[in-house]
Amino acid sequence: MKRLAVLAALYGCGSTQAAEAGDLVRFVACPVYRDTDSGKKSGCWLGDDRDTGMRWDVSQSPYKPDWNYAMLVEGRPSTDAAKPCGAPTLDPVRTSRLDTPCVQHMIPAEGFTGRKFVLPRRNIAPLSVTRPVPAGPYAERVFPVYFEFDKDFLVYQYDDWLVDNAVTWIRAAKPKRLIVTGFAATEPQVVSGVTLAERPEVAGERAEAIAETLRRLLPGIVMDVRSEPSAQPTDDAEADGLPWQSQRRVEIRALF
Amino acid sequence: MQLLPQRSLPLALGALVLALSVGARGGDTPDRWWAPGEGRVLPAVLDYDNANGTLRTLVVGGPLKTKGHPFFEPLGPNGRACVTCHQPADAMSLSVASAQRQWERTGGKDPLFAAIDGSNCPTLPQQKRESHSLLLERGLFRIERPWPVRSFNGKPVTPDFTIEVVRDPNGCNSGVYGPAAGRISVYRRPRPVANMKYLLAVGFPYDPKQGYALPLDPDDGKPQSGNLMADNRAGNLRLQMEDAGSSHLGMLKRLTPAQRKRLQDFELRVFTAMQVSKAGGAVDSGGAKAGPARLRDSAPGALGSIGEPVWSEFKGWESIPPEEAARLTPEQLAFRQSVARGAKVFRDKTFLITDTAGINSRIGFGNPVRNSCVFCHNMSQMGNDVAPGQVDLGTTTLPFADPWADLPLFKVTCTGRPHPHYGRVIYTYDPGFALTSGKCADVGKITLQSMRGLSARAPYFSNGLAKDLRGVVDYYERRYSIGYTEQEKQDLVNLMSVL
Ligand code: HEC
Ligand code: HEC
Repeated sequence: MKRLAVLAALYGCGSTQAAEAGDLVRFVACPVYRDTDSGKKSGCWLGDDRDTGMRWDVSQSPYKPDWNYAMLVEGRPSTDAAKPCGAPTLDPVRTSRLDTPCVQHMIPAEGFTGRKFVLPRRNIAPLSVTRPVPAGPYAERVFPVYFEFDKDFLVYQYDDWLVDNAVTWIRAAKPKRLIVTGFAATEPQVVSGVTLAERPEVAGERAEAIAETLRRLLPGIVMDVRSEPSAQPTDDAEADGLPWQSQRRVEIRALF
Repeated sequence: MQLLPQRSLPLALGALVLALSVGARGGDTPDRWWAPGEGRVLPAVLDYDNANGTLRTLVVGGPLKTKGHPFFEPLGPNGRACVTCHQPADAMSLSVASAQRQWERTGGKDPLFAAIDGSNCPTLPQQKRESHSLLLERGLFRIERPWPVRSFNGKPVTPDFTIEVVRDPNGCNSGVYGPAAGRISVYRRPRPVANMKYLLAVGFPYDPKQGYALPLDPDDGKPQSGNLMADNRAGNLRLQMEDAGSSHLGMLKRLTPAQRKRLQDFELRVFTAMQVSKAGGAVDSGGAKAGPARLRDSAPGALGSIGEPVWSEFKGWESIPPEEAARLTPEQLAFRQSVARGAKVFRDKTFLITDTAGINSRIGFGNPVRNSCVFCHNMSQMGNDVAPGQVDLGTTTLPFADPWADLPLFKVTCTGRPHPHYGRVIYTYDPGFALTSGKCADVGKITLQSMRGLSARAPYFSNGLAKDLRGVVDYYERRYSIGYTEQEKQDLVNLMSVL
């Protein structure tokens, strides 16, 4: 727990969400696509937890399922009781694409509306919009970036926003150097009868992906790229209180 | 990337149009074909008719004397100039109709048909029409790409796939050609050299399809738009013109800095779009605001969904006031209403987009995702993609591509992770962006083109699979089972005919 506290201090937040782990939900399932139509991006994603027999609405994940592959669902039941997709909602939620093939399954709307698309909170402004300069004083700080299970891909309208904020701060704070550390959750865990563990290599792949992005956004910056294949959870707010999400990260540490 | 200097003056349009329109009239007006080295003057406003109306090309700061200008002079030994394949009458691309016309007029002797890439393969008997069938029937040029992929933006690449030739109908993927010889031949349409500021515009700092910040321009260190060339092998205009000089023009020497500067300056000054619709009249009349002048005068790179909606140029034709309607023939009125509906269909009629890398993977939209044409064609006024537009629509890759016996077929085997939709083995006529990135996940991705001047430059898609605008709509209908009504299809065709 000491590590958690230290990290929380560095992240500059004191969220305790990760502590209230009681109602976390985690399962593996083949995705079901419900073809609702409230305009663009309004289809619903559903998943059945084999252990509990519950069907959940998992549509709110920043990275959405592929109907040809199984998904790892991680989430927390929403406090909102509305069921626009015909099942109780997990929100926050993550759906990671696994390599296990699934039979495509699409069901009709059956009277459900789905959700009209709203721009997520984590979206970046066009380049033409000047970013406000973050206030100092500037001191050592860590910016985490989060990933899909066993993947190194920068998530649209999540990681781009996290990196954009980090880079805006780094441009203003002008640290001496950055340490970019990729983490992986390599400890095997059994979920819905399936043993899951991230590949140790994904820690390095993540670090390199973010380092390459930083080289492009901050040309000339001095950077150490490292990997740490045994990640512990943190309680950073941008992991939305999902401990597994918090493990699958890269940390950009700015040193002065 | 430097854009145009601010001195680009708005033109006194009315006066110039009368004096300078060429091509449409007979008599002693110059031919619509611009031959290399003719030394004509390129007017500031140039109109050419096509089946759907009049295309207008504007040259900012024009007229331009083409004598000695590197875009118009043959720079290499094969007698071609850039203009050979980027013709003003064809929206600065080349229509198959123009290729056929040049074949008839010159008995196949025009430098356009040069063996190197204006024939199906240099090894074929060049005097025979059938040796040029891909150019004459589908407007395709041979493009040679190195194998293994050598570098992307200066970085060496180790491809995560192997490539074998399954079928080689033209002989240009075997013997001294082909992957085994380090030279892959694919066949592609010329892309329009106009409205360039939009293709070079950078909207956001990331390439969400690749999952990185945008790559930086090796010349000026600024982020690149990623919207040039079917396979994005050239990230800026300099790299592109050097590629064109040594391949299409057969130049043995490199372009000089002065030539490069004049080429780039010209490329940034040319704007082209339909000005008059045969069926609907001027596209900037009756409340509509389309046409090339607006294109020239607008700021590039805006995302339609947060700014000016794509094709809202035609909003004024959605509800035409009675006094305006009274001035139109019933046919004109109906056509204008159809175009306005087409713009709405383009933006609002949603369907399920499936198994399309770049959209359904790896970016997290999900597979499938419900959206419309404007999801990918999202830049205001141009209909290209604000983000780098490498998307696998299936136009070049089985099973989605149409069967073409005259195109080479490659078997790609992914050696790392399998392709997210096709699996480990992929059959393709053109691996597209994968020939630049070296990634099997990019096989079949083709950079979205702009949608301007379509009426002047059939056929469509990088391999010319759609012979007309209806063919474009039919392809999408086949690909995504959209369920457009006959009326919606016609509305889309009418819309695209006036862009
Ligand atoms: C033999 C025909 C031919 C000639 C000559 C030719 N081009 Fe092209 N051009 C093409 C083709 C084909 C493409 C598309 C290639 C691809 O996508 O791989 C293209 C693409 C382009 C593009 C990219 C446009 C876009 O939207 O991606 C530019 C710019 C361009 N050419 C400029 C030039 C210049 C400058 C010259 C003279 C130095 C030239 N071209 C000569 C056939 C030609
Ligand atoms: C999933 C993304 C996507 C969607 C949705 C989409 N397009 Fe495209 N479009 C592309 C790509 C990629 C290309 C380039 C493909 C090629 O050249 O092979 C393209 C090319 C085109 C072209 C050819 C332009 C040229 O210069 O040849 C036209 C016209 C077009 N699209 C119209 C439409 C219409 C109409 C719709 C709606 C029915 C639509 N597109 C929906 C991705 C998309």
